[in-house]
Amino acid sequence: MLDVLFDDVKRMNKRQFIYQVLSFGMIVSSALMIWKGLMVVTGSESPIVVVLSGSMEPAFHRGDLLFLTNYPDEPVRVGEIVVFKVEGRDIPIVHRVLKLHEKNNGTVKFLTKGDNNSVDDRGLYAQGQLWLTKKDVVGRTRGFLPYVGMVTIYMNEYPKFKFAVLGCLAIYVLVHRE
Amino acid sequence: MTNETPEVVKINKWDGAAAKNAIDDAIREVFTGELKCKESFALIDGRLFLCALAVGVALYALLWDYLYPFPQSRLVLIICVSSYFILMSILTLYTTFKEKGIFVVAREKVSNNTRTWEASSYVKKHDDKYNLVLVMRDSSGRTREASVNKSFANFIDTNGTVVQTLIVNEITKLYNSLSSEKKEK
Repeated sequence: MLDVLFDDVKRMNKRQFIYQVLSFGMIVSSALMIWKGLMVVTGSESPIVVVLSGSMEPAFHRGDLLFLTNYPDEPVRVGEIVVFKVEGRDIPIVHRVLKLHEKNNGTVKFLTKGDNNSVDDRGLYAQGQLWLTKKDVVGRTRGFLPYVGMVTIYMNEYPKFKFAVLGCLAIYVLVHRE
Repeated sequence: MTNETPEVVKINKWDGAAAKNAIDDAIREVFTGELKCKESFALIDGRLFLCALAVGVALYALLWDYLYPFPQSRLVLIICVSSYFILMSILTLYTTFKEKGIFVVAREKVSNNTRTWEASSYVKKHDDKYNLVLVMRDSSGRTREASVNKSFANFIDTNGTVVQTLIVNEITKLYNSLSSEKKEK
């Protein structure tokens, strides 16, 4: 069965082969452009994140998919669930805002805590950092889908599975004509 | 490209798309071989150019965003995303209206005329009828068209091999009918 797949490729002339490669490129580009488009529309550098830990139970569980926005003219408020990144670590953390200080010129500093944690996040912040600022925020949670993110968690825990799935998809697109 | 022994093209006879592609390829060989026409790649190259441009825009956006992380790259991203989707629409319009299923465009010099032959085909899903439309344009601007609507079984034997001679006969019939109609008028 495998050689039937490759028969089609062998019979392709140069132009058809270039078109197959470009078709594959366009599928990847479309996904990329949709992602970048979402980034621009929501204002967040990562508009869709997966919850990785159980620190926000029972609101969010591990494997939930979150939709974020990060509009500059919408201030962060206490009680909102925000996704932030600590300087030096690039794993985003999803926790609730506990305390907030706001100056007249609009600068804010706030403290967060996971619903399921017993202490606030000061232990998670960078060395010497006691408050988070707007620039640490990736976005505010606007909506969620349960369980959907488990696929991403599996793909990250079993990289071979990820490469196998992506590899098969790539080969299928490259070889299948029209 | 002349072969000593012609390549035996064997496909899954139940796969409609593969059968159409196999017959299209065989017809292309008839035009470049027996009928001694020169294939023109302008149409296909146009499509390849549009695709390459779209992928280029996407890669540019990726690179720019990598070099200047998100908030700064916002304007460039907006431009790239919109132009990407505009290019995709142009590409869809191009394939639907300009290409229209044409799989070979061949040019032929006859006496002092240059004739352009365009062959396009389509198969309906789950139908075994292969529809071929052959259009001839000559230098005086006249267009003639002929079509054939036959089952795959007329060209592909029970093993799934395309029988080249049957294709040659069919195409030659169409070619002659289109060429001679012109002379009568």
